[in-house]
Amino acid sequence: MSTDDLAKTSLYDRHVALGAKFAGFGGWSMPLQYSGVVDEHTAVRERVGLFDVSHLGKASVTGPGARAFVDSCLTNSLEKIGPGQAQYTLCCDESGGVVDDLIVYLRADDDLLLVPNAANNAEVVRRLAAAAPGGVEVRDRHRDYAVLAVQGPGSDEVLTALGLPTGHPYMSFTETAHDGVPLVVCRTGYTGERGYELLVPWDDAATVWDALLAAGAGHGIVPAGLGARDTLRTEMGYPLHGQDLSLDISPVQARAGWAVGWSKPAFWGRDALLAEKAAGPARRLQGIKARGRGIPRPGMTVTAGGEPAGTVTSGTFSPTLKQGIGLALLPPDIAEGSEVQVDVRGRAETFEVVRPPFVRPSTKGS
Amino acid sequence: MYPDDLRYTAEHEWVRSPGEADGSVRIGITHFAQEQLGDIVYVQLPAVGDEVTAGGVCGELESTKSVSELFAPVTGTVVARNEELDAAPEQVNSDPYGAGWMIEIVPADTGAVDQLLSADEYRSQVEG
Repeated sequence: MSTDDLAKTSLYDRHVALGAKFAGFGGWSMPLQYSGVVDEHTAVRERVGLFDVSHLGKASVTGPGARAFVDSCLTNSLEKIGPGQAQYTLCCDESGGVVDDLIVYLRADDDLLLVPNAANNAEVVRRLAAAAPGGVEVRDRHRDYAVLAVQGPGSDEVLTALGLPTGHPYMSFTETAHDGVPLVVCRTGYTGERGYELLVPWDDAATVWDALLAAGAGHGIVPAGLGARDTLRTEMGYPLHGQDLSLDISPVQARAGWAVGWSKPAFWGRDALLAEKAAGPARRLQGIKARGRGIPRPGMTVTAGGEPAGTVTSGTFSPTLKQGIGLALLPPDIAEGSEVQVDVRGRAETFEVVRPPFVRPSTKGS
Repeated sequence: MYPDDLRYTAEHEWVRSPGEADGSVRIGITHFAQEQLGDIVYVQLPAVGDEVTAGGVCGELESTKSVSELFAPVTGTVVARNEELDAAPEQVNSDPYGAGWMIEIVPADTGAVDQLLSADEYRSQVEG
């Protein structure tokens, strides 16, 4: 795919002006980094970072019965939340494979907003629209909203400086306005830090972006790209769809069973997932942490006792721990604490099997 | 960004002649290369005494996002390696022509360095 075929967010010119390096992701040309991955990563852990994640999908499900309809399709139980709350959930196929993982914003019983991954938005919309009963409307709203993520211990100060609401509970959201621009301010993120994601009308994103950078200047805010987003989420062990979750990697294998409403009467993939849960998964997603200097990368082979055991699905250098970390699909008999080897371009590097997160998260504090 | 007193390769290494060790040349990667790689977190270098061949892979540079190979600019014997890069690989980013140097090689053919790109030639390659 040439650069010309990639979609651009409404902040593209801002990123160019800030000297970003770009990379294609999910069909979008996105800022990979500005000052550098480690610098941006550290800013988010210690101060605050601002991400443009407008490539993320957006879709609305509206009309009478919208909530019950979505609850009968996606895995997590919408009974667990009320209006004003968001939830992590999965869209599976009938075999239990993961079409996408996404966030559902429950505005009202007849008004839900979904935020799927960039590359999967159209497919999630297609599946929901095909199944929707009369009166329930599923709409692709990918370019209706920009998404700005303000992440890090200083995020409350930055939002407060703009007069925006802060301090609402983790995974809840507030609808507000800034300078006449309507905003949804949600206490969510993909970094493991305290932070917020703002849904902004697509064409107003630059105004809000500029205001956040100006308000954050005294708090050490930096623009941060997808490179830092990936190292931050990997330190948390958060799965990335297409690597750690996929049509071939079920939520039972990826240990995302906490996002499945097992007692619900219906959701896509229910029978297959219940059967896999009862039988026990053939492989499980585990954390691996380097004993030496090796850095695992997706696709590398994991061996145990000299025999092939599994595959690395995500891997990077952890800027916080200063060592290689990753996620790998391994047989269930390989327990936490055991040693495995990863074939790093012909070298057998030793890793310890651990339970993520690799770095303690601070998302939920009040 | 591309000092005039150095020689360069198309694979983005620089060569300084002479190096500190007797009869050696010093080798590193260019400003352009470190910028393309991003934050370098791991540098694997050949051992002192290793024989390297011009154009052959002699090491590995790993950044937060990617891996790239280090190529030997000339044929010869490795006589020194920058041990500081083990603990401080970020010096390759912050000072690619100084503290971020990588190895010193005693070339088998002392004229080989003169065959490499001049600063002007290299600059026109990367700035196209």
